[in-house]
Amino acid sequence: MIQFQQVSKRYPGGIDAVKQLSFEIQSGELVFLAGHSGAGKSTLLKLIAGIEKPSAGAVLVNHQNVSRLGRKALPYVRRHIGLIFQDHKILFDRSVFDNVRLPLDIIGFSGPEVRRRVLAALDKVGLAGKESSNPIALSGGEQQRLCIARAVVHRPAILLADEPTANLDRDYAHDILELFKSFHQVGVTLVISAHDESLMADYGRRILRLKHGEFTA
Amino acid sequence: MKHWLRLNRLALVRTFGGMVRHPVNSLLNLLVIAIAASFPFGFYLLLSSVATVTDKMPVEPQLSVFLRATATAAEIGKLKEQLALDERVAQVRYVPRDEALKQLQARVGSADLMAGLTENPLPDAFIVTARLDASPAELEQLRDTLARHSGVEEVQLDSAWAQRLHRLIAFGEVLLQVVVVLLAAALALITGNAIRMQILTRREEIEVSKLIGATDSFIRRPFLYAAAMQGLLGGLAACGIVAGAMWWLNPAVRDLAATYGEAFTLRMPEPAEIVGVCGITVVLSVAGAWIAVWRHLHRHL
Repeated sequence: MIQFQQVSKRYPGGIDAVKQLSFEIQSGELVFLAGHSGAGKSTLLKLIAGIEKPSAGAVLVNHQNVSRLGRKALPYVRRHIGLIFQDHKILFDRSVFDNVRLPLDIIGFSGPEVRRRVLAALDKVGLAGKESSNPIALSGGEQQRLCIARAVVHRPAILLADEPTANLDRDYAHDILELFKSFHQVGVTLVISAHDESLMADYGRRILRLKHGEFTA
Repeated sequence: MKHWLRLNRLALVRTFGGMVRHPVNSLLNLLVIAIAASFPFGFYLLLSSVATVTDKMPVEPQLSVFLRATATAAEIGKLKEQLALDERVAQVRYVPRDEALKQLQARVGSADLMAGLTENPLPDAFIVTARLDASPAELEQLRDTLARHSGVEEVQLDSAWAQRLHRLIAFGEVLLQVVVVLLAAALALITGNAIRMQILTRREEIEVSKLIGATDSFIRRPFLYAAAMQGLLGGLAACGIVAGAMWWLNPAVRDLAATYGEAFTLRMPEPAEIVGVCGITVVLSVAGAWIAVWRHLHRHL
């Protein structure tokens, strides 16, 4: 599903965020990405979504070389990917409902299907009944859930989550990971980054450990 | 196709929503466009109003050569010969005094014009049409030459001022072109800037949309609609401003024209012209917005 071939990313200024990474993630796999901040976790996720272009190597998603795609083709690849951002990127000028419907508008859903899907996604993440609230009124954990609802509302094949459990207490973090597990159970490919490895251990999945842009054992 | 229409409808709804949410901003942008567009349009109407009058005026440089009452047949014959040979002259017509009187009576519409007069006071005359390309200096030279002739009482250069007016209008038309080009550029810049402001207020939405798979055209569409709407309303407002200005100026213009014995007013915009002005403002606004969105998308995302 996701394949990295000798991928390096050097930012302007000569900083190597990731170096010569090669790995493969199978369809339907749940993979954790561990490492301290600055280890290159965010960059790796951005490379999968085509937000960053590799300086060298190739990133294949669904057999498509994301790094080679042009402006016109890239959006259609991104529609198969759900992104959960570290900083949430919630829009505070609109309701919870309108935040979640954004991917559906972009893809072109219409009519009662939109409402059905948005409410289902909110229900799934435990925000049922909050659809008309303004996101500013939500707690930090709820905002995280809203971000997840927006990422899954169009049922993408791949879900990328950048530090979804950061700033959450342990119980809440477990709830979020359980949520991801349920997506995994319906066949979604997940890549979840976190700096706290103890959380991942409970799930017994493959863990990719990054240090200074390279894999460690 | 259905999908495309739906996306467009969505963008249109958002655009209206945005304009309603920021009424003061929308109104200010609209007024700036309207005022910028009203200058060249008003100027154009002014010129075309004047042109309707000048088009009826004789453009051919014409001289009236009035003969002395005492001029002999020999002198008249010699003058006629001289005129026929002159290179600057295109056409000569002899108007005897009796014919001139008849023409005058026909124009004034009064048969008893002669009531108080014992004899026809008009002189015999030659109406000389000079070549079209004769310069004003050549015409004046021709007038002076003819005036020195022994049988000639007076020479009048009739159409010099009309010719000058025509040249002035031609100059005005070139000036109009310059003004149109400059203000067209200004208009595109103004809308481009207004749209840039709108882009900045919606920066986060654009960024998120792009990250979750929005195409450039999805992002561009609502801004182009907003620009088209601004252009359309701005164009209509410009026509309103121009019509108002004409209505305001017309009493003064009418009074001024009356002192020249002319019935002249500035004309109002015609429907086809209103459509044209709105078309131009819409196209320029959309062009400005397109550039603004393009720059944002390519610089930041």
